[in-house]
This record gives sequence, C-alpha cells and structure tokens, in this order.
Amino acid sequence: MNKYDFILIGVVLFVFIGLTIFINFNSKSGNKALVYYDNKLVLEVNLDQKRQFYNVLGYNGNVVILKENGKIRVTEEVSPYHICSKQGFISKTYESIVCLPNKIVIKIEGKSNLDGVIG
Amino acid sequence: MKKVIVVLTVLLIFLIGFLIINHNKYYSRNLFYMDTYIDIKIKAKNKNQADKVLDKVDNIFHEYHMLTDRYNGYIGLINVYEINNTKKKDKSLKIDKKLYDLIDYGLKLKSKTNNLLDINIGYAVDVWKKYREKGEGIPKLSELQSNTNDIVLLENNTIKNNHPNIDLGSITKGYVTKLVGDYLKSEKIEDFIINAGGNVLVGNKTNGYKIGVKSPNDNGIFKVLKANDVAVVTSGSYERYYKYNGKLYHHIIDPVSLFPPNYMKSVTVICKDSSLADSLSTTLFLMSIDDGKEFIKKYQDVNVIWYSNDDKVITTEGISKYE
Amino acid sequence: MEIQKYTRLTLFIALSVVLNLVESVIPFFSGFIPGLKLGLANIVILLVLYVYSMKDALYVSVVRVILVGIIRTGLFSMAFFFSLVGGILSVLTMGIAKKTKLSIIGVSVIGSIFHSIGQILVAIFILNSFNIVYYLPLLILFSIPTGIVVGFITKSLIKYYNRYLEND
Repeated sequence: MNKYDFILIGVVLFVFIGLTIFINFNSKSGNKALVYYDNKLVLEVNLDQKRQFYNVLGYNGNVVILKENGKIRVTEEVSPYHICSKQGFISKTYESIVCLPNKIVIKIEGKSNLDGVIG
Repeated sequence: MKKVIVVLTVLLIFLIGFLIINHNKYYSRNLFYMDTYIDIKIKAKNKNQADKVLDKVDNIFHEYHMLTDRYNGYIGLINVYEINNTKKKDKSLKIDKKLYDLIDYGLKLKSKTNNLLDINIGYAVDVWKKYREKGEGIPKLSELQSNTNDIVLLENNTIKNNHPNIDLGSITKGYVTKLVGDYLKSEKIEDFIINAGGNVLVGNKTNGYKIGVKSPNDNGIFKVLKANDVAVVTSGSYERYYKYNGKLYHHIIDPVSLFPPNYMKSVTVICKDSSLADSLSTTLFLMSIDDGKEFIKKYQDVNVIWYSNDDKVITTEGISKYE
Repeated sequence: MEIQKYTRLTLFIALSVVLNLVESVIPFFSGFIPGLKLGLANIVILLVLYVYSMKDALYVSVVRVILVGIIRTGLFSMAFFFSLVGGILSVLTMGIAKKTKLSIIGVSVIGSIFHSIGQILVAIFILNSFNIVYYLPLLILFSIPTGIVVGFITKSLIKYYNRYLEND
C-alpha cells in the first residue's frame, strides 16, 4: 500500500460525502408523485410545470395520469364510479389519490411536517 | 505500524457502514380491503423484519376482510354474507371465533350507545346504497323498514341461523386496526402509523406524530394533533354521499330513524383504543353536538373535535394536550 | 504452455464460482443493500490480472458470471446482467489502474467501486427507475474496506503463486 493508494481512498471518501450531500439535497427540492399498483411502485413523476400524460396499468386496465403545473391527477380509468378521476388535481404532500377498483394509489412525496392525515 | 493503520481504517469504515445500514428505516405497505385503502408505515431494523411483519398485518386485514364481507361468500368460510344469506337449514351456524367475538363486541355496543350503533342494519344500508349509486330520489320510510330477525349469539362460537342482516362496516376498521397495533407492539415495533380509511392509529416516537385533520369543505388541514400512542377516527358526511333537492344524503344511517342525519359536517374522536374511537365517532355523528358533549362526559380520556354545519370547530377541553 | 495456462485459468474460474457461492451464504453481505458484497471472487480476478493479463482476467470474469448465472441466480436474470456489466467494467478499470502508480490495494478498490457503478447503471436501465442511484454512495463507501481486504489477500496469494510457478 503506497502513498497513491491513500490519495485514492481520500478521493473516494470525498466522492462519497459529495454524492450523499448532492443526492439528499436534490431529493428534497420539489415534490415527487409516486404511483403504486398494489404494492409496486410503477411510476415516479417529478412535479414540475411541464404538461405530460402517463399511462399505467391498473387492475381494470389503463389508467391515464396527467401532470402539469406541479400538480397531478387521474384523467381516465376503468371503474364503476370514477371517483379518482373526479377527484381532480393534487399537489400537497398529505394528499393522495386512491383508485380502489384499480388498486392504484398516487402519493406525493416531499418535505412534510405531518406524519398522517385524517378525514 | 502501517498495517495497524490500514486494519483500523478498514474496521472503522465497516463500522460506519454498519451503522448507516442498521439505522432503522421506514417500510410501508398498501392494502386494499374492506372497501378502503389501508396505508401502513412501520420503522423496522431491516427489510426482512419489515416484510415478515407487514405480511402478517396483511393477513390480519385480509382475514377480517373475508369474515366481514357482506357481498361475497368464500368457499369453506362462514362469513357475514353466509350468515345473512345461507341456504343451510341448520338451527345454528358454527362461525370463526374471531367473527364471533367481533359480532359480540358489536352487539354490546348497542346499549352503550343509546341504540345508535346497530350492526343489524344491513337492510336499510343496502336500500340507501342503491339510491346513492343512482344519485337521485330518497327512499320512503316503508322501503327502509324490514322485519329482520335479531342477531342471536349462542354458546361455543355459534350463531342462530335466522337470516339477520349484519353489517359490521361501522366497527370493523377500528377493531382490526387495534388488533394490528397490538400485534406490532408484540413484535417490538413501536414506531408505526396505520391509516385505514378514516381510522388512524399511531405508535410511539420521540417527538410525537403530527396528524392533520382535513377540513370537510376542501382538502385543507384545519387542525394538527400532536400525539403518541393514540387512535384518531373521523366520521364525516363528505366522503360518500349524494345530493338530492339541495339536501345531502351520506352513508352513515341512524338505526332508529333509518335516515342519515345532518347534525354536523364531521366529527373526530381521539383516544387510546382504536375500536372505541371508531364506534364513538359513528355514534357522535348520529347525535347533535350538544347531545354529544353530554354523551362523551362518561368516557375518560376521550376527546372530540366537531366540525359544525356552519363551519365552527368545537372541541372538548382535553384536546389542548394534543396541540 | 498454452494448455497449461488454460487449465490453470479454468481452475481459477472454478475457484471464483465457489467463492461466489460461499459469499452468498454469508448473511451480512446479502439482503441489506442490493449489490453489497465482499467481492471474494474478485480475489481470483485480480490475481489473474496480475499474474496473466487483462484479457485473461476478462475471460475468467465473464465465464464466472455465466456459471454463477446457471448455478445460482439464473441465466439472463436481473442479477446476471448486474454481475456481467459490473464484472466487465471492474476488470477494464482495474486493467487501466494497474498501469498507474497505484499498488494492488488501490487497483482492488478501483475494481470494487466500478463493479458497484456497473451494477447501478444496469439497474437504472432495467428497472427504468433512477431511484436506485440512492444506493450508490453507500456502495462506494463500502468499496474501500472490501477493496482493501481483497487487495491484501490477493497480494499475499500472488507471492505464493509466483513461488509455486518458479518451483513448477
């Protein structure tokens, strides 16, 4: 083990610290929407201003999701009452969209001072 | 000397890594049972432990989901659907002890709640459900009345086979949430939060959990409760309802009048016992706020937040300890 | 001469497969973080790299991944592609690092780091999720001690192996 090895290890440690800070810093800026089918994370959307449609497969078929202006909503899905597409946009960390017949859940992840929400 | 330094460095980095990895993390699970979305988050040592515990939680909810299902039968299982609709001619039905205990618990609530909690209300619930799905018209009182037989529990986990019309919807979520909370504690999991469709149960963590209570009018939070080891349950008219002739008809039916009352927009109950909180929130929703204030006095350490029809927030005095 | 060399390389492949299997039953190094391993098989790769050549090390590495795929993880499974890309990237970077002033310890650390990076790249591609990148810093941190351990073991092994070759 020579001098250069120690330099290498120092550099690697520095990269580790840098990456850790960078990733943690990055993940906290702006909210993300996580879309689950049952227990599987099927889609991750950064809630930026751009307008974009997404397709995910639900229990009854395709579920169409729309993101724009930092908000997200379900626009089309196959279910008896269309509760989740009627719900409209969500954007805050405690909000969620649940489509029971399709087993689709959209949660918003980001800075939140609440552990849970009721009502 | 150089070797000693190298060995120590290696050990130190392993130690740091160990600490980062074994730092307890949150694991969550989505469940879809009892016609609601159930969200569970626990803090566990590692993924293996979390998976084991969450699988068991899934099993508990699944089992009660099947036992209390009113609309589907399951092969080899005598559940609520089977009790209500069985074609068997036997005088009595042998049921699972878990279901027996739950029905027993439900029956005892009736007298404790001035008859406002009645688990034999399935007939009226179904009639209202039909109207709600249609979204117009209201049933006549005669349509809602039925001569459903009383629920009679017999010895040895058996129930009299007389086709009652059991609906455990108003008590099951809180009851099972309590069981799950007890199970998590038995597995030494202290930091958890269960949200089963309007039933929240939290464990213990250093700074307490912050639980936001949603306003019935919009999606905003009108109150934040800070607590450890409590259940918070909300009953409201704003979730499942329809409007007809300018009047709102929601899904919580008064077993006496057989109509959904409109005393308030929502009521939230906070206490240690999640099953008690669930049944009390339904009961309080079915009486006026003044009657509720009187009714709740006989309960120790139970706190309530009423959200009145004119958007006033009324609370019991004890609520201040959660602020 | 060629036959003797390939016989030895084949023995090394067998050894690396065994080391991989041994490693998979050590509980600490499996299950906590995907991709976290002590990398015992890298001992063999590193040895071949120093005693023979980069080409031979690449050969041993790829055949090892295929064999482990058949025996344990399943051929063309996700784990298979993780190891394949991780393994190739690791050998290539070690080959380059060997030409610098780094000692075998440093080369081993480099190999370990790029093994992790290769795996993460494949994971991002296969799982189509950038989320997995959160594991990268931790994997890199672990590359230091595992790389050092592997490097030291290989260093002493090479000494014995060269002595054995001389006596041969």
